[in-house]
Amino acid sequence: MPEAVQSAPIQRRARPQGRIGTWLDHHLYSFVASLGRVARRPWSTALTVGVMAVALALPLGLWLVQANVARFSGDVQRSREISVFLKADIDAARAQALAQALRARADIGGVQLRTPAQGLAELRANGLGAAIDAVGADDNPLPSVLVVTPRGDEAMLAASLQALPEAELVQHDALWRQRLDGWLRFGLRVALVLGALLGLGALLVVGNTVRLDIQSRREEIGVLQHLGATDGFIRRPFLYLGLWYGLAAGALAIGLLTLAAVALDAPLSELAASYGSRFTLQGLDLPTAMAVVAGAALLGWLGAGLVTGHYLRQTRPTDT
Amino acid sequence: MSVLRFDNVSKQYPGGHVALADVSFEVQPGEMLFVTGHSGAGKSTLLKLIHLSERPSRGAVLFGERNLRKVRRGRVPLHRREVGVVFQDHRLLTDRSVFDNVALPLILRGMRRNEIGKRVRSVLDKLGLATRERALPTQLSAGEQQRVGIARAIVAEPALLVADEPTGNLDPTLSAEIMALFASLPERGTSVLVASHDLGLVKRMKKRVLVLDHGQLADDIAPEDLADA
Repeated sequence: MPEAVQSAPIQRRARPQGRIGTWLDHHLYSFVASLGRVARRPWSTALTVGVMAVALALPLGLWLVQANVARFSGDVQRSREISVFLKADIDAARAQALAQALRARADIGGVQLRTPAQGLAELRANGLGAAIDAVGADDNPLPSVLVVTPRGDEAMLAASLQALPEAELVQHDALWRQRLDGWLRFGLRVALVLGALLGLGALLVVGNTVRLDIQSRREEIGVLQHLGATDGFIRRPFLYLGLWYGLAAGALAIGLLTLAAVALDAPLSELAASYGSRFTLQGLDLPTAMAVVAGAALLGWLGAGLVTGHYLRQTRPTDT
Repeated sequence: MSVLRFDNVSKQYPGGHVALADVSFEVQPGEMLFVTGHSGAGKSTLLKLIHLSERPSRGAVLFGERNLRKVRRGRVPLHRREVGVVFQDHRLLTDRSVFDNVALPLILRGMRRNEIGKRVRSVLDKLGLATRERALPTQLSAGEQQRVGIARAIVAEPALLVADEPTGNLDPTLSAEIMALFASLPERGTSVLVASHDLGLVKRMKKRVLVLDHGQLADDIAPEDLADA
C-alpha cells in the first residue's frame, strides 16, 4: 500500500480489523452471497449443473467401460499355443506325418494332433451333443488341428506355419490379444480426447452461466466499483458460484454413473456367468470419485474466474 | 492544506472532444461548493476525474497530498473509498435492505461487524431513517431513497463528498431538504462538492459556485458575491 493511501484520514478513522480478519470476513460475505444466488435461481442452477454433469459423465463412463474391459481381458489366461487348422482333404495319416515333421523343428516345443473324431468328442463333452445329433453329423466336417507350442518367437512361427501348404488357417492367440490391447489403448485415448473436449464444454457451460449472472448484476458491480470494491471482492462471489456448480455437477455425474452401473450390472453378470466367468462391473472407488468431484469443482471455479476476469478487464475504469 | 486541487487540468476524449480545458481550483476542508453549467459543460467529467473514472489529459488532480495521476489501477478502489459519491438515481442495490446498502462501504473497508452495526445505525438515525433499516429500497419514497444514498456516501466519513445532480429527480421541497442535509456535512469535517444545473437552488444555498462553460472555468463565485446577485 503506498504511503499516500495509508496516511489518508479515513483509513485511520475507519479502524479496519487485521488483514486476515478482513479476508475471512470478505470470504464469508461472498460465500453467503453466492449461496443466495444459487437459491434464488433454482431452475437455471439445475440446468447448468445437469448439462455439466452429463458432459462429465460421458467421458467418465467411457473410461470406466475401458477399465472394465481391460480388467476382463487380463482375466483371460495368456495362451502361447498356436492352432493350425489343416485343410479338409488332409487325412489322419498325413496329419500325423506333418506333426512328426514339425516336432523336429528347432522353433517348436511340441505338437499335439487333434483328429476330427477327437474334436467332435470335445464338442460333445462341452454339451453340444444334442445339437450335433440334430444336424446329423454322419460325415464329420471338422478338420484335423495341430496344437503347436512354440519355442522362441511366436509371431514368426505363426507366419511360417501359415505358409505350409497343408494349413487352412492358423489361429494365434497372441495376435488377437495384441489387437485387443490395441483396441483398449484406442478406447482409453478416445476417453481422454472426449474427456478433454467435454471438460472444455463443462468449462464453457459454467462460464456462460456466470456470464449471464454477471450481466444481470452489471448495475450492482458498477455500484460496488464506485464504492471502492477491489476486483477480488467483486470476483469472489462468482468464483464461489462456479465452485458450487462444479461440485454439484461432479456429484451428479458420479450419481448418474452409479445408476448406470446398477442398471447394467445384473444383466452383465448373467452374461458373464453364461461364459463361466464371475466378472462383475467395477465402479469408481472413493478416492477416484472424490478426485472427479474436486476436478469438476476446479473446472467450475476456473470457468467463473475466466469470465469474471474478462468482464473486469473490460470495465476497468482507467488504464494506468 | 486543501482537500482537492485541480492544477491546469484538461481532458480530451479519444474522439477529440475537449471536455475540460485548463481548469484550476481548490477545495478547503469543511467547504461546500457547487459546480454548475449547462449540460455538456464538463461537470460530469470533472466528477469522474475526482473519482478516478477518468484520468486528465494534462494537468494534475490532487486529493489531499496525493497526485491522482500516480494512483495505479490496483489502488483505484482504495482511493474511491475516501471519496463519498451520491448519484442522481441514488443507485442503491434493490435486493438488499437499507441497512445492508449503507453498510457496504464499511464492509469493503473490512470493519468489524459490531462496529459496522453501530456506525450504520448512527448514520441512519441522523438522516431520519432509523425506522426504515429493514426496508428494501423499492419500498421507500424518492426522498428517502436519496437519503439512503447519502447515508451510504457519508457512513465511512470521507474527507470529500461528491454529488452528481443529487436533486435531479426530486420536487422542490425535497430538493431543499436534501440540500440542507448536504449543508450540514461540512461542520462534521466533510467537504461537499455538488454538481447541479438547478441555478435557482444553487443561488438559494449561498455557497461558493464554480461555473463551467464549454469545459472552461468561466466563473468562481464566492458566497458573498452570490448574496448580492
